[in-house]
Amino acid sequence: MDPKNPFVTQEAIIQKIIPETPKIKTLIVKPKRPIPFQPGQFMELSLPGIGEAPFAPSSSSDHPDILEFTVQNVGYMTSFLHQMKARDKVRIRGPYGNGFPISQLYNKTVLLVVGGVGFPPARALLYQLLKEKKKIPRLILCYGARTPEDIVYKYQLTYFKKNLVLYLTVDDPGKTAWKGHTGVVTCLLDKIEIFPENTMAVVIGPPVMMKYTVLKLLEKGFRPDHIILSMERKMYCGIGQCRHCMIGPYFVCKDGPVFFYAALQNLPDVWEA
Amino acid sequence: MEKVRYFVSYSHWVSLLSDWIQNEIVWAPISTSGMLHYKPVSPENISSIIYEGARAIEPLKWFLFPPIEKMNGRNQRKGKSWIVLAVKACDLQALRVLDSAFGGVFADPHYWFHREDTLLVATDCTSPLPTCFCTEVGGNPFPSQLFDLALSEIPNGFLVEIGTEKGEKKLSPFRAFLETPSREALQQVEGNRKNVMKILRRQNRKFKIHENLGEILYSQWNVSLWHEGSLHCVECGMCNHACPTCHCYFLDEVTREKYIKLRGWDACMYQGYAVMAGGTTPRPYLHQRFRNRYLCKFKYLKENYGVLGCTGCGRCIEGCQGKIEMRKLLSEFSELLSVHQKVALEKI
Repeated sequence: MDPKNPFVTQEAIIQKIIPETPKIKTLIVKPKRPIPFQPGQFMELSLPGIGEAPFAPSSSSDHPDILEFTVQNVGYMTSFLHQMKARDKVRIRGPYGNGFPISQLYNKTVLLVVGGVGFPPARALLYQLLKEKKKIPRLILCYGARTPEDIVYKYQLTYFKKNLVLYLTVDDPGKTAWKGHTGVVTCLLDKIEIFPENTMAVVIGPPVMMKYTVLKLLEKGFRPDHIILSMERKMYCGIGQCRHCMIGPYFVCKDGPVFFYAALQNLPDVWEA
Repeated sequence: MEKVRYFVSYSHWVSLLSDWIQNEIVWAPISTSGMLHYKPVSPENISSIIYEGARAIEPLKWFLFPPIEKMNGRNQRKGKSWIVLAVKACDLQALRVLDSAFGGVFADPHYWFHREDTLLVATDCTSPLPTCFCTEVGGNPFPSQLFDLALSEIPNGFLVEIGTEKGEKKLSPFRAFLETPSREALQQVEGNRKNVMKILRRQNRKFKIHENLGEILYSQWNVSLWHEGSLHCVECGMCNHACPTCHCYFLDEVTREKYIKLRGWDACMYQGYAVMAGGTTPRPYLHQRFRNRYLCKFKYLKENYGVLGCTGCGRCIEGCQGKIEMRKLLSEFSELLSVHQKVALEKI
């Protein structure tokens, strides 16, 4: 195949699969050649004959040779990814997009507001921020899941609690013995003391959660250029051609997926209506 | 550089063309039930080619960015080169969008293979269709850029202008056919062009298409005219597929046994166009998709590539199932602006 062809993929072998929740699994894959990436960037995973979809690695960018992808079973392609076993092969291309503006978080309180399966890119960012802990005076993670069962990376929560301020909430505790907060993730923002002028908020999650979190942050006094969003859109090419991911004049795959809210605030159709 | 034009007699041109069709695939507009469709030229239909007239039904992107294409392995078109005859200025202008979209860091090898392997022979537009409005969006009905060769029809032959080295090379074996044109011939072509411009201006006089359309539409993205304007849209996607600058595509894979990646035209008017994993979409309502298309043409593409996404070819108006008259709608948006807003826009 033409080496200049941007659609060339390389093979990656699944090393291990970690079941996170009934609908979410983490695939640990080893690409033939290491793929250096920035937290927040994404890659296209494909299965021949099935399809291709964008995923942001959830692993540390220090390990470009072993990548982790946390995948929720929501559609056709992801249902096949969920059937994969160790030693199966996937194809991969990337990385694409801009990644988080990490240097702009230095000497600020970083408030991560994460919903559901938005945790994967957030975890890659967390690894990076914890590595540069001296430059980040205060690191807060607010994470909301639908039910206690839907919380991802349960086995790492103790580690995160030790290293940062962690607030957890579930929308519906059901019949479980959940003792933590209940309610949507925006409710947590009322429970913590934040100083918007010296805080950078990073919001990652499903569109509806992001929409209301942004509204809440604005209400709390955050400036639009202090709110960082990792946006999700339909993507095919990943390289700024197919125009499926456009938000106004911006390509989410090329100019994003990480945006300051200031760039998007006056554009139509940013969130689902 | 002053443009140099040559005269080629009609019989010489036909013998030149007969030579080209031996080794290459030559596409030219041929009238089928009064519609101009591109057909491969053969010795049988060589005399039925419509050189001037209006733009063809098929946009030029058809040849460079085919409706379905294999993205890996050998390029399906390798073999004979292609020549496209009678390309009009509106389609050439569209290349400025396509060249930028498929260029840059991740330049698309498929598009550029077709682009470099296709010789573009442009001609003047002499009888614009009622839906044509290139002059209202900064264009002209005659070719002035991006062609390899340009022809202007005059009695008994053509005036030929060379646009690129590729065009010059293609013509060099036929150097003996090129004659110095008479002054009258040159004057006649200029006169024809001025005439066509007059026709276009006259037929579009009733529309008030403002120069700063992108900002006009954007500043009013929240008005109800988007609902009213899209009321008759049946979401067939015709406007996307017929548009010479629309280039949204989907990628798909065919078999599990072998890795074959296909690319095909997509249309932003379709409801499923932007649906994400899990089924949500940022544009669930028709008026949102309709607005997105207009803003893409007049604002976003201009911001992305510095060129308007509309070349005034009128295909989207001509083929619309809902009889949506874009020029009328654009005028309505311009008229909706308050005097105050108009003054503010003049300053941009």
